[in-house]
Amino acid sequence: MRLAKVTSLVAVALLSVAAPASAQTFVFGAQGEPVQFDPAVITDGISSRITRQVFDGLVRYKGATTEVEPALAEKWEVSRDGRVWTFQLRRGVKFHDGTPLDAAAVVWNFERWWKASHPQHDNQVKAGQTFEYWEAQFGGFDDKSIVSVVEAAGSHTVRITLKEAQAPFLANLAMFVFDIASPKAVERWGTEFGKHPVGTGAYRFVEWKPNQEVLLEANSVYWGPKPRVKRVVVRNIKDNSQRLGALKAGEIHAMEGLNPDDVAVVKGDANLQILLRPTNTTGYIAFNYKVKEFQDKRVRQAFALAINKRAIVGALYGGTGLVATQFQPPALWGYHRELKDFEYSPSQAQALLREAGLRQGLSEITWEDGKKEPLIFWYMSRSRPYFPNPKEIAEAMAADLAKVGIKTQLQTTEWAVYLDKRKNGQMPLYMLGWTGDNGDPDNFLCYFFCQPGVAREGFYANKALGDVLLRAQRLTNQAERAKLYRQAEQMLHDDVGRLFIANNQPPLAFAKRVKGYVPHPTGSEYFNTVELQ
Amino acid sequence: MRRYAIRRSLTVVPVLLGVSLLVFSFVHLIPGDPALTMLGERATPEKVAEVRVRLGLDRPIWQQYVLYVGKVLQGDLGVSIVRGDPVATDLLRRFPATVELAISAIVVAIAFGIPIGVASAVWRNSLVDSLARLGALTGVSMPIFWLGLVLAWFFGVQLRVLPTGFRLESGTTLVPWTNFVVLDAALQRDWSALVDALRHLVLPALALATIPLAIIARMTRASMLEVLSREYIRTAEAKGLSRSAVIVRHALRNALLPVLTVIGLQVGHLLAGAILTETIFSWPGIGLWVYESIESRDYAIVQGVSLFIAVIVVGVNLLTDVLYAAVDPRIKYE
Repeated sequence: MRLAKVTSLVAVALLSVAAPASAQTFVFGAQGEPVQFDPAVITDGISSRITRQVFDGLVRYKGATTEVEPALAEKWEVSRDGRVWTFQLRRGVKFHDGTPLDAAAVVWNFERWWKASHPQHDNQVKAGQTFEYWEAQFGGFDDKSIVSVVEAAGSHTVRITLKEAQAPFLANLAMFVFDIASPKAVERWGTEFGKHPVGTGAYRFVEWKPNQEVLLEANSVYWGPKPRVKRVVVRNIKDNSQRLGALKAGEIHAMEGLNPDDVAVVKGDANLQILLRPTNTTGYIAFNYKVKEFQDKRVRQAFALAINKRAIVGALYGGTGLVATQFQPPALWGYHRELKDFEYSPSQAQALLREAGLRQGLSEITWEDGKKEPLIFWYMSRSRPYFPNPKEIAEAMAADLAKVGIKTQLQTTEWAVYLDKRKNGQMPLYMLGWTGDNGDPDNFLCYFFCQPGVAREGFYANKALGDVLLRAQRLTNQAERAKLYRQAEQMLHDDVGRLFIANNQPPLAFAKRVKGYVPHPTGSEYFNTVELQ
Repeated sequence: MRRYAIRRSLTVVPVLLGVSLLVFSFVHLIPGDPALTMLGERATPEKVAEVRVRLGLDRPIWQQYVLYVGKVLQGDLGVSIVRGDPVATDLLRRFPATVELAISAIVVAIAFGIPIGVASAVWRNSLVDSLARLGALTGVSMPIFWLGLVLAWFFGVQLRVLPTGFRLESGTTLVPWTNFVVLDAALQRDWSALVDALRHLVLPALALATIPLAIIARMTRASMLEVLSREYIRTAEAKGLSRSAVIVRHALRNALLPVLTVIGLQVGHLLAGAILTETIFSWPGIGLWVYESIESRDYAIVQGVSLFIAVIVVGVNLLTDVLYAAVDPRIKYE
């Protein structure tokens, strides 16, 4: 009997409802494991969610817009020709390791990103990392870069001279990749800095428990609005349904990556709420131009005509999706409203395939080097805002393609490897998308198409398109730029360079007691405004 | 006895060699150049060549195998391709989570399986027996994945009495002395963390315990039935011993021998089941790790973990056999 008593006591103790997560800790449910936390080398949203809390840039986005406002730089001025930018840094700001944020630290960060010979650049490259965004936004490293001089013009004054004006320069600097890291910490940790991030942000990095969670703690001497919650935990729960289960169970307060079917479930739950991110994302299918069949425009057109985008968006986006007609989402000022999209037409698609000599349809592809293999259609293993349920969407598209005789084999792999395969141009046909970083059309289009023929864009080489985009990048007049971006979208459409499938306003689910969360179009949101009631 | 143990141990050597060969060939079955995978698109041919030399990929296959075995014997399982961390270190850090889960599961399985089996045999063909047999059959055939989800949904989401995943409540900072959370909490006298850790263990341990529990119950029942029909039991009863004394002291003790073997065999199943259980309950052990590594084709991790699990299964089976011999003197190695 004593045993029974003890057992029941233990059971009661274990089952007694846990104290609700403290009002001082905000728990966010993330879709996967971060890669690391060195903002200069990461490219994924799961990692940058953390770095946005730990680091600040010279400038940042204001509220839910992509307008730029001061951050570490209090104010700035630009020369008449748009080439020389002078930033006045906020005084008295310290990194979490106690070292001062001054002009020298900012210059050090720029040199690290920019100069391939910088020891803290070189060691990263040797360890297999790349400063991908610097290259994309500022034209390359060393002499290739649009940046020509970065200097300290005073203890808290930084002067940046460009070779030529760059219209989205400020918008670029507001991106998470150009957040300022503590030089001392980077030098101390070297290639391990990504596991020991030190910035000036509202939250200090505490611990990363692999496969579990990342812990952050409020920075009590933060220069900006003081964090409302003392601690932040970002938990890695891979599966969308399990993550929702954890939210319903009260174990987490917020989550992204909601299954479209679950939007209605959350709306019907009195304890939960939904916030939509303003659309700033486009999901696409990319062709690999080393595949001989895809070099024929008629084949690409057949793909465009065969896929019933309207049906897919209607059925698989839980009511938060929009059919994409071009790369830019409708909210961007370079959006081409008059562009006439392909109309779904399987018969026309079949006719085009026949015209291209593919009477039997397409199930095997030929690489440029003569190697033949079955047509593998790669889809992402991880749900992203633009493709909330990639597998289902891929299956729907593959079914559409099969109807016109294009037989694909669906395949996937882990996110990091998927991105790597894309980088190396190894996938013949793949799904991916883009969430804008800075609200500038340049960021949507130039990253992908300014450099013709790069492996990471499936070797798509459209030099005329690249030239238009580069021209737009150097203008400062927005109306003129908008015209060029419309032209670029038209060129991309006419060439069927890529298939644009859907835009989405990604839904985020929260416990009702969460207030002050501001979904941002770029997907990187600051937690210092979050409150738990 | 000692001779048996030594000779039985020697049979392990070819098994382990075979396993290592299998695990080794694994890499060479995967398409693509691991060096290129590591370096990415900006790799110059010189750099690829340099890494190939560093990884030993430029040597003949048999040399690579010898090198590999040599490294493994020194405890070097290579580095993760995706993150670049040493596999052996990460393995040791994550393994305690799996052991903790597996031990809890086996404790649950034994604590419930044996009494159920005994009751089932003693009250043969009664309602108790029918229920127990039905339960065992259901348990054996229940997919862990499904059961885990149902448990998490019912106890976590609906009743909100137990957590749906992880080892501790979010944001708990417990210094990882041993990485056995329950042990760490107890050693650090952090009682709230201890209760928290136990609460987190309940659902995954139950999910993982179901199949072994059912198997143990069935095995105990069968073995008990056999023993209960023996003459010495009748003698014991005739002597006027109490029924419980007969069952526990005379029958159960002898019936447990085959059950022991079954428990030993469960270790392999437990480790396999842990992969599923850990995935469902976001349990950060080697199961979740290997699952994610298979997805990311991080072959170094998959290789390391496979080899590690194989060694453990072989080791536990060896131990079971030796124990068996110790318990039962009739067993000899011929």
